[in-house]
Amino acid sequence: MDFISAMNLAEKYKIAVPRWEMVKGGEQARGKEAALKAARKLGYPVALKLISKKFLHKSDKGVLKLNLNNDDELAKAHVELLRNAKGASADGLLVQKMAKPGVELLVGGKTDPQFGPTIVFGLGGIFVEVFRDVSVRVCPITRDDAFDMIHELRGYPLLAGARGRKPVDEKSLIELLLNVSQLLCDHEGKINEFDLNPVIAYEKGCLAVDVRIL
Amino acid sequence: MIGMKANNEWKPEEWKIRNLHAIFHPKSIAVIGASREPGKIGHIIVKNFIDGGYAGKIYPINPFANEVLGLKTYSHISEVPGEIDSAIIAIPAALVPQALEECGKRGVKGAVIISGGFGEIGKTKLEQQIASISNKYKIATIGPNCMGVLTPSDRNDSIFLPLYKMGRPKVGDISFISQSGAVGGCIIDLAARAGVGIGKFISYGNAAVINEADLLAYLAHDEKTRVVVAYLEGVREGRAFMQAAKMVTKKKPLIVLKAGKTSAGQAAAKSHTGALAGSPEVYEGVFKQCGITEANTLTELFDFAKIFDIKECGSGKIAVITNGGGSGVLAADHIEEFGLELAEFSTQTKNSLRKILPPYTTVHNPVDLVGDADSSRYEKAIEIAANDPNVDIIIVIVLFQTVGIDARVVPVIVKAAEKSPKPLVVVSTGGEYTEIQRRILDSYGVPTYPSPSSAVRSISKLVKYCNRK
Repeated sequence: MDFISAMNLAEKYKIAVPRWEMVKGGEQARGKEAALKAARKLGYPVALKLISKKFLHKSDKGVLKLNLNNDDELAKAHVELLRNAKGASADGLLVQKMAKPGVELLVGGKTDPQFGPTIVFGLGGIFVEVFRDVSVRVCPITRDDAFDMIHELRGYPLLAGARGRKPVDEKSLIELLLNVSQLLCDHEGKINEFDLNPVIAYEKGCLAVDVRIL
Repeated sequence: MIGMKANNEWKPEEWKIRNLHAIFHPKSIAVIGASREPGKIGHIIVKNFIDGGYAGKIYPINPFANEVLGLKTYSHISEVPGEIDSAIIAIPAALVPQALEECGKRGVKGAVIISGGFGEIGKTKLEQQIASISNKYKIATIGPNCMGVLTPSDRNDSIFLPLYKMGRPKVGDISFISQSGAVGGCIIDLAARAGVGIGKFISYGNAAVINEADLLAYLAHDEKTRVVVAYLEGVREGRAFMQAAKMVTKKKPLIVLKAGKTSAGQAAAKSHTGALAGSPEVYEGVFKQCGITEANTLTELFDFAKIFDIKECGSGKIAVITNGGGSGVLAADHIEEFGLELAEFSTQTKNSLRKILPPYTTVHNPVDLVGDADSSRYEKAIEIAANDPNVDIIIVIVLFQTVGIDARVVPVIVKAAEKSPKPLVVVSTGGEYTEIQRRILDSYGVPTYPSPSSAVRSISKLVKYCNRK
């Protein structure tokens, strides 16, 4: 599923994402003007991404620029993006407000051959990759299930406010898990893999920075 | 196979539940493939029914014999005069569909197909035939490729292993389902040796008709079952399994040992009973979601099952009574390790304990009855601890190696356990003599463990179950 449809679907299920705007004409000079306009409207810092079928994954280096703080940086990033795209046809440019730093999490979904849609929750980055610190449930989940998914992580103290930090908004995480579970159930058989990575949790609320649906 | 959509509800078919009852509590049974030849499966099964003391009618079926083990034998099931609740089928796979068809026409309610040679060796069509005949005639069919069914209360025993090789447990209220016949056989044998009672045992093999979900749904409502234990390699219909498991855990504990969690285990499972294993994380989630208590080894399965026969455990505050200080310390360590708590004794308890203990000992939990403790000191200490409102569970550690203790403490503990309003488990570590005493305690329904760690781990599972949402 393309980025825009994925974002729209997420928003339909009340999954909070950083504000974003899509501007047309990625390859051309007028693309730059539109991007600048969008960035000023959203407010810096922003991320700029070239949207193209060729680059489905965010990790594809060179077509995503983060933490652009002003017009100059954005204009420079635009040039680099076009150069790195090597002429690949672009659907447009995505300008997205940078999410403030917080606790990075992951919420995912996968269809299990025996149980159907499953939902995965974990701490982002090293915790998922190295420690496999995730909790899994079969959808649909209950509020109690969502609560357990958060609390059973070995890294839970990081969410509860370890090392003098403020605890994150657990209620908003529970809502997020319930919403994702509903989305996955409603699209059973249509979604194979679902990724909100990272989700950034704050003292109040949480934001799904990237949405990928396969 | 997922089996159904995420938002749908599953219910077992009414006829399956009804006819399963006939398999577990049959008034009459037929053995299709009954044999005159000792050593043949069809011989062992008939012999087991006779030797086991089955009180219902036994109809051996064999077109080439007039009698098997002194019983009148019929060439076809259609010739049997009376009603037949359950047919045990032990004939070559290719002949099974016809025999099952005859069962259907004859109005047989349930069938246990011992014969192998179906889905597990790739003969899926033959297996589908079994399913469609069973569905057509509404026969609750267990198997194929299974080891049989055991209901000790009814002396209903279609397990094809001779009694002298595999012991049969006494009547109890722990029911056990096993995909694998071999693993099931080991557990039944161990249960028989340990004196642990069984309500029902079902080896369900390829599950062509009756699968784990149907069995769980049955056992959830079975008044004679208080604890359900399952050995699984994979499940056939994930969502049906989950809903059936929830039906059980709403009413009684369900303990599951899931094999095939690693990729090596999964490869073995695929070629075994033909079931696919899910990824370990998904299963872990499923178990948590359904309130299932997961066991990681056969020993744990047993350890947990024994203690889950206990109904109440409060918030899990433990009193430890021991005649060996070291074992008490080990128990205290494990209690903290497993997130449990040592009970804080009331003043009254402390005063009462002071009166029965030698003056040089201190009075606190764990209670050290010291090395010269005898049966009467145990009796008094247990009674005092049991009456303390701060105590939920009592661990009694008995080291039989000491001077003051011998077999005479066993009836004392059994009586104290019966009198105690709080659950009581015994830990005894040692050799042959200790093992014998433990077995006697177990057979009187007092759960025993060979180490403080296994006891505390089991209690932690019980407490978790008792305090589930």
